[in-house]
Amino acid sequence: MAETTGPLQPTQDGTDAVPAAKGVGTRTDRTKAIFLGPAAIWVLAFTIFPLLYAGPRKMASFRYGKINQFVGLGNFARLFRDSNLHTALRVTLVFVVSTVALEMILGFALALLLNREIRGKNTLRAIMTLPLFATPVAMGYLGITMYYEQNGPINSLIRALGGDIVPWLSNPFWALVAVIIVDLWQWTPFVFLVSIAALQGLPLDLYEAAQVDGASGFDLFRYVTLPLMLPTLWLILLLRLVEAFKVFDVPISLTLGGPGRATEVYSLFTYRTALRFFNHGYAAAQGFLLLFIVMLMVSLLFGRIREIYE
Amino acid sequence: MREKSIPIAGRVVLVIAIICMLLWVLFPFYWAFLNSIKKPAETFEPTWVPFLQFQPTLEHWRSELAIPETRRALLNSTIISIGAATLAVVLGTLAAYALARFQFNRPQNGTLTTWFLSQRVLPPVVFVIPFFLLMRQLKLLDSVWSLVLLNATFTLPFPVIILSQMFRELPKELEEAALVDGATRFQSFFRVALPLVVPGLVATWIICMAFSWNEFLFALTLTSQSAIPMPVIIAGAEHTRGVQFWYVGVRVLLTMLPPVILALLAQRYIVRGLTLGAVKG
Repeated sequence: MAETTGPLQPTQDGTDAVPAAKGVGTRTDRTKAIFLGPAAIWVLAFTIFPLLYAGPRKMASFRYGKINQFVGLGNFARLFRDSNLHTALRVTLVFVVSTVALEMILGFALALLLNREIRGKNTLRAIMTLPLFATPVAMGYLGITMYYEQNGPINSLIRALGGDIVPWLSNPFWALVAVIIVDLWQWTPFVFLVSIAALQGLPLDLYEAAQVDGASGFDLFRYVTLPLMLPTLWLILLLRLVEAFKVFDVPISLTLGGPGRATEVYSLFTYRTALRFFNHGYAAAQGFLLLFIVMLMVSLLFGRIREIYE
Repeated sequence: MREKSIPIAGRVVLVIAIICMLLWVLFPFYWAFLNSIKKPAETFEPTWVPFLQFQPTLEHWRSELAIPETRRALLNSTIISIGAATLAVVLGTLAAYALARFQFNRPQNGTLTTWFLSQRVLPPVVFVIPFFLLMRQLKLLDSVWSLVLLNATFTLPFPVIILSQMFRELPKELEEAALVDGATRFQSFFRVALPLVVPGLVATWIICMAFSWNEFLFALTLTSQSAIPMPVIIAGAEHTRGVQFWYVGVRVLLTMLPPVILALLAQRYIVRGLTLGAVKG
């Protein structure tokens, strides 16, 4: 019975009037199940079940119009030989590392800079939330017009500042930079908003104490702000890493993965394997590799994160 | 915040930083708006102020909104986002209350929470084929309902995590009093706890709606004609006549404005929502 009493009932010895009045044990179990059950069943039905349902196919060379044959681990072996896949992995890694690093540095720096009483602070924050909710596909599509080589606004600005025209979408290097910039536009505000929210929640008395002890501005940052902000920064890092690995919308709408395969990120590559070349078995194997990479990363960071959520 | 008077040089840096930030964030929206009200021939001219530098026109808005596919897509997107958000919030609120108020043993509360959180960690592309096959089996391909189901699934972590923290912050005494007075658990949930978290509930609903509206990968793979929502319309806009800046402007704004405006309404809860409850905004 002690197991079934919720935290609402303060004692575990059954003296509490509430569970007794409700008929104890089975009744509470049923209540719990009614509250948690629907969501749990829902998640099982729409994430675990489809994966199991499609599971056998990753073992088969499943292709429409071809006879199914069981290829065992062949699809997994192919992952190691496919140079296009390796290109996609490399592009994704470059994208993930550069966007996450730049967003964290820029966003946190801005938050530190603006962490003071400013007129219109709330308006500023409201404006910073706009990019977070702007439809990514729409941003990619709008990007085509903004990165336009002749007379597009970005190149016009560069030329006005005395620079040369940048071949944004036609040069492999610059195309990836263009995709990265869209991501920076969209997600630097996220780092900024979370950082500034956390900064404003820091205990002021610690700063006063440190100032009384004669700490200078940089010391305050190095020995007070940074250690206190570290859990938040870890959390932002994890959330951004996870999201960055999912990138799909902007590359497919802005560059279609091109020129060549210069911006063909992992999700886009897998999407094409599945729905352009209808190689479902191989695409499923690719999906599992990505899942493995993300899970590995999350579990490496998870120790830190658990501390934050608990 | 810390120091009262900032030196002049510091203040100048601050003002410049703020101006740059605002320009950087707002320019794409203004650029889209500008193009949407310019005549085709004017889109390449460096004019920035309507009425003063050029005569604005609503012609492109009218013709875009007259296209049946666009209207249909707007309707589909509305159904998908409202449906998915409502489902996610209903399921999520119940689960959130369970996680906040009951003690689970096998598996424990922490594990359950992590499990719900993990839905946002999974890369969606992993699910493209499983969902395609499942929806084909259910005869739900090219149906808005398949997208309602999927978006509800992928936005479910928001209500679960955000609301379980809100329920935990409510004083237990209120509900205990109700239970002692003979209310059932359901009555104390509906009459006491739920009304107190309504603002959070609405904000979570808005966040779920915006995310469902913006979702693209499943919308692209599971729809082919009648269920196509806005993000797919925009990505499918053909470039046969080159990029038509004016239509790009209209479509981009039509797609982006609903979630962006919704986000402004949920402003207070955004940080909490996007960090899955770990940081209070």
